[in-house]
Amino acid sequence: MRNGHSSAVDQTGVPVYRGSQAARGSSLNNNNSTATDSRQSLDESREHHNHSKAVHSNDNEDNSRFTKFKSRRSLPWYQSRELQIVGAITLLSLIVRLWAIDYPTSVVFDEVHFGGFASKYIKNRFFMDVHPPLAKMLIALTGWLFGLNPSFDFKEIGLDYIEPKVPYVPMRLMCGIMGVAVVPMAFYTVRNSGHSIHAATLAALLVLFENSLVTQSRLILLDSPLILFTAFTALAWVNFHNQRKNAFSDDWFIWLFLTGVGLGLSGSVKWVGLFIIATIGTSTINQLWDLWGDLKVSPRSWLNHFIARAVCLIVVPVAVYMLMFEIHFLILHNGGDGDGFMSAPFQMTLGHSLQDSPLSVAYGASVSIRHQGTKGGYLHSHASVYETGSKQQQITLYPHKDTNNDWIIQKKDGTVPEGLEYIQHGDVIRLMHITTNKRLHSHEHKPPMTEDENHFEVSGYGFKDFAGDANDEWRVEIVENNDEESGKFLHTLNSKFKLVHTNMNCDLFSHKVKLPKWAFEQQEVTCMRSAVLAKTTWVIESNIHADYPEDAPKVNYKKPGFLGKFLELNKVMWETNAGLLDSHPYDSRPSSWPLLKRGISFWGREQKHIYLVGNPVTWFMSTAAIVIYVAIRGLLFLRDKRGYNDDFNGLREYYELSGGFFFVAWAFHYFPFFLMDRQLFLHHYLPALYFAILLFSVTFDVACRFIPSRARLVALVLIASIAIYSFRVRAPLTYGSEWTRSECEASKVLTTWDYDCNQYPDNYAQYVSNAAAKTAAVESTTNAEEPAANVDSFERDTEPQEQQAVSEGEGVVDAVGAGAAVAAAAAVAEPVGEDAQITDPAEAKMAQDGEIEPTFDFEVPVEDDEVSENEKNDA
Amino acid sequence: ATGSESTLRQRSTVPKHTPPTDSNTAATEDAPKKVIKSVFTSAEKTNSLIALAGLTALAIVSRFYKINEPDEVVFDEVHFGKFASYYLRGSYFFDVHPPLAKMMLAAMGYFIGYDGHFLFDNIGDKYNDNNVPYIGLRALPAFLGAMTVPLVYMTMREAGFPILTCALAAFFVIFDNMLVTQTRLILLDSMLVFFMMCSIYSYVRFYKTRNNPFSLKWWSWMIATGISIALTTSVKMVGLFTVATIGVAVIWDLWELLDIRRRLTMQQFMNHFYARAIGLILIPVVVYLFWFYVHFAILINSGPGDDFMSTEFQETLKGNTMADGIYVKYGDNITIRHKDTSVYLHSHAHNYPLRYDDGRISSAGQQVTGYSHEDPNNLWQIYSDNVENTKIGNQVKDKDVIRLLHVATSSWLLAHDVASPTMTTNEEITTYSTNEDGSRFNETTFQIILESGGDKLRTMASNFKLLHQSTKVAIWTHSQKLPDWGFEQQEVNGNKNLVQKSNLWLSDNIEGKNASEIDQESSKAVKTRSFILKFLELQGKMISHNAGLTDSHPYQSSPIEWPFLVRGISFWTENETRKQIYLIGNPLGMWIAVASLAVIIGVSGADLLSRRRGFYPLNQDVQKRFYYATGFFFIGWIFHYIPFFLMGRALFLHHYMPALVFSYMVLAAVHGFIFIEGVDGPISDPGPETRPRQLQRAIVPVIAYATGIILMAIHLGSFLFFAPLSYGTSAPSVAGLARRKFLPQWDYHFAK
Repeated sequence: MRNGHSSAVDQTGVPVYRGSQAARGSSLNNNNSTATDSRQSLDESREHHNHSKAVHSNDNEDNSRFTKFKSRRSLPWYQSRELQIVGAITLLSLIVRLWAIDYPTSVVFDEVHFGGFASKYIKNRFFMDVHPPLAKMLIALTGWLFGLNPSFDFKEIGLDYIEPKVPYVPMRLMCGIMGVAVVPMAFYTVRNSGHSIHAATLAALLVLFENSLVTQSRLILLDSPLILFTAFTALAWVNFHNQRKNAFSDDWFIWLFLTGVGLGLSGSVKWVGLFIIATIGTSTINQLWDLWGDLKVSPRSWLNHFIARAVCLIVVPVAVYMLMFEIHFLILHNGGDGDGFMSAPFQMTLGHSLQDSPLSVAYGASVSIRHQGTKGGYLHSHASVYETGSKQQQITLYPHKDTNNDWIIQKKDGTVPEGLEYIQHGDVIRLMHITTNKRLHSHEHKPPMTEDENHFEVSGYGFKDFAGDANDEWRVEIVENNDEESGKFLHTLNSKFKLVHTNMNCDLFSHKVKLPKWAFEQQEVTCMRSAVLAKTTWVIESNIHADYPEDAPKVNYKKPGFLGKFLELNKVMWETNAGLLDSHPYDSRPSSWPLLKRGISFWGREQKHIYLVGNPVTWFMSTAAIVIYVAIRGLLFLRDKRGYNDDFNGLREYYELSGGFFFVAWAFHYFPFFLMDRQLFLHHYLPALYFAILLFSVTFDVACRFIPSRARLVALVLIASIAIYSFRVRAPLTYGSEWTRSECEASKVLTTWDYDCNQYPDNYAQYVSNAAAKTAAVESTTNAEEPAANVDSFERDTEPQEQQAVSEGEGVVDAVGAGAAVAAAAAVAEPVGEDAQITDPAEAKMAQDGEIEPTFDFEVPVEDDEVSENEKNDA
Repeated sequence: ATGSESTLRQRSTVPKHTPPTDSNTAATEDAPKKVIKSVFTSAEKTNSLIALAGLTALAIVSRFYKINEPDEVVFDEVHFGKFASYYLRGSYFFDVHPPLAKMMLAAMGYFIGYDGHFLFDNIGDKYNDNNVPYIGLRALPAFLGAMTVPLVYMTMREAGFPILTCALAAFFVIFDNMLVTQTRLILLDSMLVFFMMCSIYSYVRFYKTRNNPFSLKWWSWMIATGISIALTTSVKMVGLFTVATIGVAVIWDLWELLDIRRRLTMQQFMNHFYARAIGLILIPVVVYLFWFYVHFAILINSGPGDDFMSTEFQETLKGNTMADGIYVKYGDNITIRHKDTSVYLHSHAHNYPLRYDDGRISSAGQQVTGYSHEDPNNLWQIYSDNVENTKIGNQVKDKDVIRLLHVATSSWLLAHDVASPTMTTNEEITTYSTNEDGSRFNETTFQIILESGGDKLRTMASNFKLLHQSTKVAIWTHSQKLPDWGFEQQEVNGNKNLVQKSNLWLSDNIEGKNASEIDQESSKAVKTRSFILKFLELQGKMISHNAGLTDSHPYQSSPIEWPFLVRGISFWTENETRKQIYLIGNPLGMWIAVASLAVIIGVSGADLLSRRRGFYPLNQDVQKRFYYATGFFFIGWIFHYIPFFLMGRALFLHHYMPALVFSYMVLAAVHGFIFIEGVDGPISDPGPETRPRQLQRAIVPVIAYATGIILMAIHLGSFLFFAPLSYGTSAPSVAGLARRKFLPQWDYHFAK
């Protein structure tokens, strides 16, 4: 973009000043027409070099470049050195990255989530996840094509794939091939930025032999699609940039459009994709600023530039992103375990339905009251008492429909008037719980969970024919209304109201605090003074009264359209994402990433281990490239101010342009993490690592300009070999393959890498003997293992059956009696206990690894199902 | 000039714009080649002084009006009044803010004869009943709050703005309800804003001497700037925003000096650099530390802040409990208490259930829990891991490997590789009976690592971790309660994260040691500790506690709401009279200020874009004043506002106060930019190398006065309308409150 120098760097690495551009162009043409293979590659790189360097738009030059470009394309493909190199590297990466992809044959790390989501897509059950849907849908699509049985739910790490015939290999292959595709992308990104084939090859090889990228792309995870789309976007943008002399040409538009598509796809995989959007955005603003300063560009033409970019880089990505959600909603049209995250109108689109209810609410109506500030559900009571405070009947929030959510509205004195008398703003009412005949009551007792002095317990109090007392009185205050009428009179759905306890001047309140087991872990309801308004608002959802006229106006939730659903889901995703604050044994802070202080343990079994850790050589070299870049730019910046004009015969611009873009991309993919409070992991650095590697290859290319061309090839081979060797050393952690303790110890570059070398045997022969011993052991103790298997099987069952199974089990133990129970327990426990000693820690570790990303309470609704069972038992 | 558009257009003709002259300045004009000492005439200086005096008087009246009301503790007087009392008593307390402002309040109390007997416990406590000279205490912030006004005026004046513009800025600062309410109570913000304005004023003065570098005046104003930013930061850490504002200006200045066209040699440049490093880094650091030194020198007695500090620190305070600590010997029966949650390490003859509710299996061993009450089951006998040499009677040292015997059930404390009851990531802790064989000996050894309190285990004084030898976990507990089977006691488990701060335990008692033994063993002497260690510890604690203030408060707000005044804070209410103090800015004034900030962004954006296209819409001097003076105040606003978005702690409207002052200065400057033609100049002191420059005068047209007066009238009207809520001296009626509710979120009391 800079208006620069007509200088260039000679192929031999000696920076030279070129004479006339035209002469150079023609000489290139001549060379090209008689090119041998090797000459040709040199020319190509020179052509590329010029391509990025050439700035003065000069017809002659443009022409020559154009013919050159065409001629390169018109060569038979098998003669193109470049294509052969890319082909070879891609082939290599197919082998390296997909090698033994079927191992391990069980659920690894976050496959728990992303495999599980695939099952839910196939079942069309709505779920909530913090990531946008694209990559998950791709995984689900693969699973569906290859016959994934959705009853397999990927519930925990280590669950076997083979026996339930899970098509995990195609699912992993899908991610793996996306990982493979990143390698040629790296090549072309560097190449098309105007760098030599050497640099491009180096970039591709380093990306290929990067342990963390390999590990991450071999499993059913979102990162390989994310990195692929990010890399694709960067490539498309570089290509677009190369077309800047042909503004508004077909190629220009194609690459601009593809950049936009790439942005949309990246953003639709994970929100981290926003970082590439920021990168491209910054670059776009920079372009527009330069164009604005170019007085040869008329304002009208500038406006065209602006509009073209706005459409392709804003409208297109947003459209792609929304399209993904549209597909997501179309697939997930049934309710599922994500319902509890969404608002009531949203749930109406998920197969739940609500009958139309009469608009006006009269005394004597039986109503259900939904809390607005949380998604906790309905004001609820049941025949169990608090174990703290007053020991009166519990009042909770309960998310599912149930007759225990029904209340009758009474007048202040506890009576119900004859005929219809509608409730107005400011009326004092009582609420009678229909199934237990208790009234909603509050008093000066501490609530069960919240310790704050502003909170008071809310309970159900009274009995049939009890007149009640003043602590049963609540004033209805309408705080938000859709129309004037619903501000004066209490209307179903339309009036949002507070219930103010008249005696204590506190508001009926609920928040996301779970009550203990004795209250079935339902949500706490209290009466709070000076509470935040949002958490004290309620709305009447159903409204039944025998005396309502037939033709009374009815009301129901307005089902949200796509846009409403889209916005709500994104908001919930954002809130949930920000709420992932728990610590995790393998989480890390961004400051530790560039130095690769620590990896992540993914999976371990049978003396094999998968541990996410980078290739230290590549990693440290890429970090060094960043540091060098900053240092050089800083130094030159200061020297400029002091009047030195170092441009190193054009080399500087060469470094600052493409290197600058990769550096900015790295910075945008790295620094924003410092602002995030949520738990972060090493693999969040991988997109930044990709750009750091590209920057390293640019640095390499620039450094190569100072050495003879033969030495350049040697340098390339040397660096690549070291990186490949380093990859090989740590490959067993990547593939989860056999290793020995001594090799493991030798592989630890930093002492902070916490994979346990003691788990490996002293030599490979032990794997064989251990396996043999194990088979023997299994054969001899088949009987003993059976109880353990049973345990497993009913753990895997879900929902009501589980409840039954557990209670039956308990029943059996009870029946045996105390002494016998101990003996029985011992008998059963022995093998299980053994198991607990040996494999349980690993499993436990894995289970918690499973919690890594978004395991918020998927179990909530399930538990509530249990609760409803419990309650029925109680009742 | 009737509007911004037309003025802009007029200014676009650069060369045509001859400096407008004034009849008063004719004499100076005659000799344009002479170096001009001052751009202002003596008549103008007199006018300026009169304006300054009048505004100062108004400021004093506005701050001191009925300062005796209410004679009750209002809002955060609870904290800062209390801290002043602690200073007067000399008892150690802990607060997240640096000490200066609180010490100033204490000094004020000392001079007016207050002895610190009152603790300001609740909002609404009566001062008169408790014999507290609160008027004197409030007078200090009120006075400094009033003095902010002349500083604002003089800063604007020094920056070269006409009297009208300066007066406008000062007037807006005087009659802002938030500034009034917040500065007439015993709070820190008044000192903060005062010192902040001192910094800005000194810096402007310093910048104006830049043509005479290293002169006495240059040095004086630079050091004054340095001291002022140190004082600002010594009031609240928010003062760092002022440091950043000045810092950015200084770095920009240095960057310009580095420019080859300035013809400074590297040596000369480095001299500039070192001078600023001394004046703006070194001196401020010393001043900041000095206040902490005074702080420690005053607070010599043990007090409510002890528990926040390390044991070494507490030992420096008179009457601290650490002095009671006695050395633990092998064979002693001790209690072990968790530092964070204050529960005892406890065990009892009940076992973990074989299977938990989530289906996981436990070892079914004896429970180890955290129990908050004293109980014989809290006693553990301490043994060495060496069976041959039991070391009974020897003192327990750092890094010793020990075993703990639960006395009541006579079983060894043990950790093993089984998941704990509630956390699958952590290890279960259980015990193992002495009656069984010794095969699990290795699982019962723990290394004791002392984090503080010397190298020998001492009760009360030593905080230690218990590291399990074979599986490398630390014994840990957290506030998670166990279910019924664990009697709702706290879960204790083995934490794999060894560096976590909550791994710390302390031993608070040795069973059977009597007082005479204690007296023999312990030295009651108060220890000393180096100032720098004490400072670093306190500073660290302040930062971590400040970040930890994440509890939500009913009146907290998010920064995005502040400039638009979306919500206020209820400071104080009185039920009988229905009076209340509700902190809220002057709504009309603040909204106009926000609009002026938008004008700045719009004008500078338009200017940048047009210059990029080769158009120069602004006269060079006007443009320079616009970026260097108005832009500086705008940067001040940015730096005192935007960083709040990055803070996780609970934030309040009054955090916007420093930024608000800047926004009023910007408002006045923008008014001048729109309505006043040209600028006064040059305003900087001429130096030996300064080329003679033509005198320029700003033309202040009648419309500028007219609009200025309209703005002041709007602002004053709005102030008076909300004054009852700001002073809390009279109770508006319900209807009156409803009229004052411009936004539905303004949640007054007694509104119904």
